[in-house]
Amino acid sequence: MDRRDFIKTTGGLILTVGSGTYAFRILSATGVSVSDTDNPLIGKKWGMVIDLTKCRPDCTDCLTACRTENNVSFHGDKRWDNHWIRKVKIEGEVGHTKVEKMVPLLCNHCDNPPCAQVCPVKATYKRDDGIVIVDHHRCIGCRYCMIACPYNARQFNFKNDEDWPNEERPKRSHGVAEACNLCAHRLDVGQMPACVEACQKCGANAILVGDLNDPVSEINRITSTLSVKRIREDLGTEPKVYYLGL
Amino acid sequence: MKINIGNNKTAVFVAIPILIILILILYGVISNVVAIGSEPPQVLLERPDSKYDKCVRDTEYMRFHHWELLREIRENVVRYGKRGEEDINKCKECHTSRVNFCDQCHNAVSMSPDCFGCHNYP
Repeated sequence: MDRRDFIKTTGGLILTVGSGTYAFRILSATGVSVSDTDNPLIGKKWGMVIDLTKCRPDCTDCLTACRTENNVSFHGDKRWDNHWIRKVKIEGEVGHTKVEKMVPLLCNHCDNPPCAQVCPVKATYKRDDGIVIVDHHRCIGCRYCMIACPYNARQFNFKNDEDWPNEERPKRSHGVAEACNLCAHRLDVGQMPACVEACQKCGANAILVGDLNDPVSEINRITSTLSVKRIREDLGTEPKVYYLGL
Repeated sequence: MKINIGNNKTAVFVAIPILIILILILYGVISNVVAIGSEPPQVLLERPDSKYDKCVRDTEYMRFHHWELLREIRENVVRYGKRGEEDINKCKECHTSRVNFCDQCHNAVSMSPDCFGCHNYP
């Protein structure tokens, strides 16, 4: 081997090994900083079923429960009131009969959330258990998520509320966007969300929250066998809030 | 060498503001240097009928790095849903008063963290 060949071979060898290691490191990186065994959220997928046949049109217990649990600001002025869950009257015609329905609307916790995609600071994101949540520490209040959300589920904090009904839970300061977080703080410790408890307490039992990944759960039975609908399924956002009797 | 800055009147108009600014800067520096030697902020480390014997970390760590710990807890709770024993709500079980505890140091070093706009601390 002469000098020229030696240099060629060595250079080639170094290039191959070096780029190989580099490529392996890039390809094997998953982008998850917390180890999977350490993360309690992996494996779950929270979903909600709202049974409109059981929901009472004039009942607002879930709205009040949500507001007191999460300190959602309420001034009595619709310009500044926020609603994590709200009831909307839907009118339509089936055949020749007019149909009117009161539908509770909330954040749909989409599997493919547009709000998380547009967030420029990654304040809105999908947790590993499927809950779409806002990190209010990081939110800069740009309101892109409010524009991106096709369900109008997001609100902006225009004004601080003086009331503090649940002092264990934080409020939101002026200038951040907020939406339902499916009471993640309660689900983490094994409790049901405030709206579900309120619905059970008033006797209607129309809201059900459960793990969609659990094959024997009640919510899985309902969503797989009965005729459930999701709002605007055609948009491809894959909402996880299912409606019965919509 | 003579520096030409116009007539005497202009020189006065330039010199007086510069002097005032210099005095203000000097005052700031000197008052800070004097303040270093003065009394440190008095923090009440009260523990009224608490179930805990001691803080989650030792005092030196908490004094200089508590915000790092709080940030770590925040990351765990908000991002990964790990709600463990360490919780911002548990600080107030021992340190009951924000005025006597948090605000003492924050005021001394003119820090105004915005934790308390959203998190309740009596």
